[in-house]
Amino acid sequence: MVTKSRTSTKAAKNSPDVPARHIPNKTFVIDNGAYTMKAGYACDPSSSPEEALSNCISIPNAIVKTRDNRIWTGTQIASHVTDWNEAVFRRPVEKGYIVNWEAEREIWDQTFFEEKATARNKQLRIAHPEETTLVLTEAPNNLPVLQRNTDEMVMEEWGFGGYVRCLGPTLNAWNEVQSLFGDPLNKTDSDIMPKDCLLVVDSGYSHTTVTPVYKGQPIQRAIRRLDVGGKLLTNYLKEIVSMRQYNMVDETYIMNEVKEAVCFVSNDFKSDMERTWKANRKREEAQSVVVDYVLPDPNAHKTGFMRPHDPLLHAKKKKGALSGLSAEVLSEDVLVLGNERFTVPELLFTPSDIGMQQAGIPDMILQSLSVLPPGLHAAFLANVLVVGGNSCIPGFMERLENDLRGIASSECVVRVRRAEDPFRFTWLGGSRLASNREELGKLAITRQEYQEYGSGWAGRRFAGMI
Amino acid sequence: MFRVELLANSSSHATPGYTYVADRGFDPAKAAMAPALGRKRGIHNAGKGGDISSRRANAIIRHLAELDRENQRDVQIPVPARPAKEAGARVSRTKTTSNVRRILVSQKTFRNHLDDEEAAIAAGGGGLSIPVGAAAVAPVIPSRVKVVAAAAASRRSSTPASTAAARKKRPSAVAATTATPAPSQPETTDAEVEDDTAEPKHKLIKTEHDNDPLLRSYAPTMPSERIMDRLLAEPALSYNASRAGPPISTQLPRAFCCMCGYWGKIRCKSCHLRTCGLDCYKVHEDSRCGAFF
Repeated sequence: MVTKSRTSTKAAKNSPDVPARHIPNKTFVIDNGAYTMKAGYACDPSSSPEEALSNCISIPNAIVKTRDNRIWTGTQIASHVTDWNEAVFRRPVEKGYIVNWEAEREIWDQTFFEEKATARNKQLRIAHPEETTLVLTEAPNNLPVLQRNTDEMVMEEWGFGGYVRCLGPTLNAWNEVQSLFGDPLNKTDSDIMPKDCLLVVDSGYSHTTVTPVYKGQPIQRAIRRLDVGGKLLTNYLKEIVSMRQYNMVDETYIMNEVKEAVCFVSNDFKSDMERTWKANRKREEAQSVVVDYVLPDPNAHKTGFMRPHDPLLHAKKKKGALSGLSAEVLSEDVLVLGNERFTVPELLFTPSDIGMQQAGIPDMILQSLSVLPPGLHAAFLANVLVVGGNSCIPGFMERLENDLRGIASSECVVRVRRAEDPFRFTWLGGSRLASNREELGKLAITRQEYQEYGSGWAGRRFAGMI
Repeated sequence: MFRVELLANSSSHATPGYTYVADRGFDPAKAAMAPALGRKRGIHNAGKGGDISSRRANAIIRHLAELDRENQRDVQIPVPARPAKEAGARVSRTKTTSNVRRILVSQKTFRNHLDDEEAAIAAGGGGLSIPVGAAAVAPVIPSRVKVVAAAAASRRSSTPASTAAARKKRPSAVAATTATPAPSQPETTDAEVEDDTAEPKHKLIKTEHDNDPLLRSYAPTMPSERIMDRLLAEPALSYNASRAGPPISTQLPRAFCCMCGYWGKIRCKSCHLRTCGLDCYKVHEDSRCGAFF
C-alpha cells in the first residue's frame, strides 16, 4: 500500500519525541447520520476530492421491515427491498444522536465487520480495528451519557487502535472551501489546514444546526439548533396529503420520494400561494406550480414520477374507457400537489407556520452570531457553508441568501454557498483531516490511553477539557 | 391537639387559601400533560393578549410530537438473528465487557436520556453533566465583550451594523444610502487573515463620506487571541439550551386553511380551526369539525 508507507514515514518524522503514542495510519471515517451513514477509508492527501469521494459509501442507517414481514439491515436495504409500500423503519439514531446501540451494533457489524472479505464489502470492511483509527462524527450538543456510551462501544466492543469523536460540522472546515467562495488560495504549501472562519449550516434528517467553526474548532456557545429536518418535512407532507387526498400515513418512504421530487422553497410565498389557489387552478399561470405525482406500483414494477398537472384527468377517468385513455393511465394513482410543494419546505424558514416557537434558519444564524464578539460577525457572514440533504431542495440556497442579506447588517458581505456534494462533504472533511497526521494526533486517543484512563477521561478529552 | 400556625410568606398579601407564585411562562414539559382542571379558563383567555391558549399550545405540542415519529404506528422491529455459524465465528473477537452489555440491553429512548439529563442539571450539575448555560461561561469573557454581547442580545443588533451604529451615532435615515461599501468589505475579512489583533483601534471602512465625522463607518476589530482561546475552551451547551429561540420578528404567525392549505381567513366558531372560505368550511363542518362545546 503506497498510502500507508508514505503516511507512516511522515508520522514517524512528526512525532519522534513521543514514541510510545501510536496512532494507526489507516483511518476510517464514519459520518453517522440518522438517515444514512457515510463511511470509508480516508485516502492519500494528494488525491483529488473526486478520488477521495469514490471511497465514501452511503449506507442506510436503518433496519427495515417490509410488508411481507421480512427484515433487512443496512447495506441489504438498497439491494433487497423493492416494494416500499408500508415499509417500517427502525433507526438507531434519534434526533441525530446514536441512542440505540443494539440496532446500531447490528448495522455496523453487518456493514464494517463482516467475517469474510468479498468484492462487495472491500471498501467498507474493517479487518483489524486495532490497527485502524476511527474518525466518528456526532451532532452538536450531544448528551454526555450518549457520548460516553459511544466511546465505550467503540473502544470496548470493537477496540479501535485510535479514535476521534468530533462534531460533524467542524470537519467541513478542513475541506478546500476557498474555491467554493471564490477566494484565492492563500497557502500553497502541502499542509492541509482548516479554514479560519466558517459558519456551517447543516440541514439534515433530524434537525438543522448552525455551527461557527474557528480554525477547525467549534465555538460552542454559538451553536444553535432548529428542530426541523427532513423527517419532519416528510411527515408533514404525509399528513397534509393524507388529509386532502389519499391516506398515505403508512407510506413514509414513498412520501419521502414525493417530497424529493416535487418540493421547492418559494422565493415569493404570497404569489405562489395565489397561483395555486383552487379558483386559479385552471389558469395558465397555475400550471407551472401544480403538478401530478404518479404513485409507484410495485406489482407492475413501476416507480413513481412527477408530470405536469392535467386538470381534466379526473373527469376523463370517470368516463373510463370511453375517453380513450389507455388502461395504464386508468389504473394509476395520482397525487395532485399544489401549495403542498412549497408550504412544506417553508417550515425551514418559518417554523411558526405549524406553531413551532422557533426561528427559521436565517434568524437562527443571527441568533448564533449575537453571542459572539462583533469583530467575528463579518467573517462568519461572508463564509456561510450549507451542507445536508435539505439544501438540495430547489430554491433553498437563493431563499437563504436573500433572507440573510435582508436581515444582516448592510456593511457585511453575505456569501452563502452549498458544498458540491452536500451529503458527503462532512465525510470528505474528515478524510482530509486524517491526512494531516499532526492535527489528527492532537485530537485522537489511542487504545492504550483508553485502557489506562477509561471512558470518563475520553469524554473529557473529546470535550477539550484535558 | 393540632395547632395552625401562619408561616411567613414571601408575599405580604393576607390572602386566605392561595398564594402568589411566579409564573415561569410556558413550559413544554408540563403542557404536554393533559391539563385536567381549569381547562376552560385557558380556552376563554385565548387570543386575548396575543398569547396562545393552553389548549392550542397542547395541540401544537401533540402535533409536533406526531410529526417527529419515525413510523405512524408503534412497531417493534427486532434485530434480525444472525446465523449460528456467523455468530459463533464472532465470539473469538468479542469478549463483551460489562459496559457494552449494559449499553446493549438498555432500551432507553432519547426522551428518557434527556429527562435524566435535565434532572441531573436541575440537581446541580451532578453526574456527567458539565455546567451549562450563559451564566456558567460568562465569567471567562472579558467585560468589553460581555457588554457587547448583552447589547446584542436585545434585538436584531446581533449584526455589526447596530453595534457600529451605536458607537458612531449614525442617523439611521442616511444609513441606507451611505453604508453599503461592498468593495471595502474584503478589508474586514482580510482583517482576520492578517490577525491584526494588536491594533486597538477600529478599522475605518472607506467610503466617499469619510470627511463627515458623523458618517464614518468603522468595522469592529477581530477579538484577540486570548478571547478566541477562551471562546473555544467553553464547554458545550446542554441540549435544550442550544435550541434556537423564538423568531425576532413580532408579526403574527400566518394561518392556513386546514382543508386546502390556502390562507385561513375564517375561523370555525366551535373548534377554532381556520378555513379559507365557505367551500372548505362546509366540508369542515360536515365531516371534520370535532368540537363538542
